[in-house]
Amino acid sequence: MSELIQQSINALLLGCNYTLIAIGFSLFFGALNVVHFSHGDVCILGSYVILIFYAVGRASGLLEVLPPGLSVPVLIGAAAAVTGILGAVFERLVIRPFRHAPLLMVLVATVALGLIIREAIRVFYPQGSNPQIFPQLLPGGGLHVAGIPLRYDNLIILGVTVGLIFSMFLFIERTRMGAAIRAISQDMEAAMMMGINIDTTVAVTFLLGSGLGAVAGILNGAYISIVRFDMGLMGGIKGFSAAVVGGLGNIYGAIFGGLVLGFVETFASAFIPGGTAYKDVFAFLVVIFFLVFKPSGILGEKAYEKV
Amino acid sequence: MKRLSFAFVVLATAVTVVIVLSPWPKAVWAKTVKIAFIGPLTGPNAAQGNGAKNCFDLAIKQANASGDFPYKIKMVPLDDASDPAVAVSAALKAVSDRKVVAASGHWNSACALATIHTFHSFKVPFVVWGAISPRITEYNYPEVTRNCPTLVQENVPFAKWVIQDLGYRSFSIISDTTDYGEQNTKAFKALAEKYGAKILSVDAVPVGTTDFRPILTKIKGLDPSAIYFGGVVMEGALTKSQMAKVGLNKLFCAVSGLADEKFNEVAGKAAEGTVITKPGFDLDELPGGVEFKKAYEEQGYGEPMGAYGIYAYEAANIILEALRQVGPDDKTAIAKAIRAMKYKGILGTTTFDQNGQTELALVTRLVSQDGRWVKWGKSAYARGERSLPRP
Repeated sequence: MSELIQQSINALLLGCNYTLIAIGFSLFFGALNVVHFSHGDVCILGSYVILIFYAVGRASGLLEVLPPGLSVPVLIGAAAAVTGILGAVFERLVIRPFRHAPLLMVLVATVALGLIIREAIRVFYPQGSNPQIFPQLLPGGGLHVAGIPLRYDNLIILGVTVGLIFSMFLFIERTRMGAAIRAISQDMEAAMMMGINIDTTVAVTFLLGSGLGAVAGILNGAYISIVRFDMGLMGGIKGFSAAVVGGLGNIYGAIFGGLVLGFVETFASAFIPGGTAYKDVFAFLVVIFFLVFKPSGILGEKAYEKV
Repeated sequence: MKRLSFAFVVLATAVTVVIVLSPWPKAVWAKTVKIAFIGPLTGPNAAQGNGAKNCFDLAIKQANASGDFPYKIKMVPLDDASDPAVAVSAALKAVSDRKVVAASGHWNSACALATIHTFHSFKVPFVVWGAISPRITEYNYPEVTRNCPTLVQENVPFAKWVIQDLGYRSFSIISDTTDYGEQNTKAFKALAEKYGAKILSVDAVPVGTTDFRPILTKIKGLDPSAIYFGGVVMEGALTKSQMAKVGLNKLFCAVSGLADEKFNEVAGKAAEGTVITKPGFDLDELPGGVEFKKAYEEQGYGEPMGAYGIYAYEAANIILEALRQVGPDDKTAIAKAIRAMKYKGILGTTTFDQNGQTELALVTRLVSQDGRWVKWGKSAYARGERSLPRP
């Protein structure tokens, strides 16, 4: 029983990571109907941005100036903000020119952007081809509850993810900009006629999604203790798959999709003999199952098109 | 006009005579012989590859300085990035250069298994310096030899040590899904059963896996006395650091796949008490070992030589010795000379069996202590000042 609970915690933590990436995919798809295939690489870019900030902060002594407990949130916030801005810049340079072009062109453009991000990290980051050791940003140690070890870093990852999802919910549901994002995702032309600035709204959507992705990349680095330039490729595919399972374009569906994928992978490793080598296979089988039997995903809506 | 022609002929003859008799044309037109080095110069195992490349380079520099060769020898460094597809491209690049008379390569078994067919097809002598899957020499290609021990050769003294000497009797095996991982699992499983130990579980993970918690949580429930890791540095370091995070305080042990300081760097404090073996002797205790280390340091290479650096150095010297014996013109003769060689190097006398596999296979026992690999005999664990997890 304790093993089942422990494995559920492992699954939950993995699901958190997929969820944060999947929310970005759903935001972009909801706003623009585009699949931003370089989003996974933007997430990993976030973890490299924090590595740079951390190194600069340590070298300049800025980290010591901040009160204990505040330096890490500031670092994460700064890295998420910078990555968010970069995400908005990528949208302006790579996605906006194709706004009225066939979807395939945007898809190819974002795949190319992902490749550029990966190679840029590899070439320009010192020893970029090699895995980078992630600094210990989160506290070690933990506590035991009913014989189950609960680590502080895991609790923080869970707390941050839940907090971000809740903040996201409030932003989308309770703010003017959130309403504008919902409006353009429902009908861009009608939103434009109602006076909504499409360019600004889309830029904010990308800033938000990329910022969240950066946090996903950072928390993943803190969880596994390394980061590698090409991790975004698989992370992006998994995040996109989670968004598809949940219902592409539906932010709440992304949460379900992330958790489903996290649980399938973890439980395949844990309870299927020899399943560890095929955990990705099981995860993608679930994706295929949804694509065949429920293409709209868990929370996605059926779309009827009159032909 | 005739005068002008005569003058031109005289001038041309004079220039030719000057060129032939002057010392500098030898440098310009001296024959260059190339030897290719292939290894992981980028990617997860770049530390091993670059250290080995430096050692190979040192051997070439020493050969050029020795005056034994009437031609210049040049190393052609090629990157396999630990990726078989990239490795084959590098091999094709090496064999398509007519000046490349021999090659040496690979730390990753998957890369070596992908390229040996290329070297065999093009009849280019190839010495494997760091890949340890037994299958590499099982093909018995006349061009392919290996001067480092196989993982089977390495697992025998390792299993005896961990099971018989240290007393660990039940194991969970984690390996990667590469040929290296599979062969390690197969070799250790057979040896463990032979020496009376139990194997409680076997798990294989794809290379690049970063989250080992589900496997480790499962293993925790099985309660083995030790975990045998049949993979390489990065996955090994992540496994060991995550063992601490799931509260799995068991012995972590492996053969030379983890024999790199990068393991201690990535695993951090969690690395403490990991036991491994690596092929070869302690350089400090070998005749010529201290000089070799000194020569390496004098070159000012940026990277440490790594566990397999000495094998890359010896591989280069084996090729060079074959060039001394038969010259650089006949590649088949070079391959034959390598196979028949009795090479006295720093590690001892290297001879090859009928498959081209070295018969020189000895290991050094190491334990991770205070963030670095320490020889078992000199460690606080051997003195009883610190203790490994209970068997």
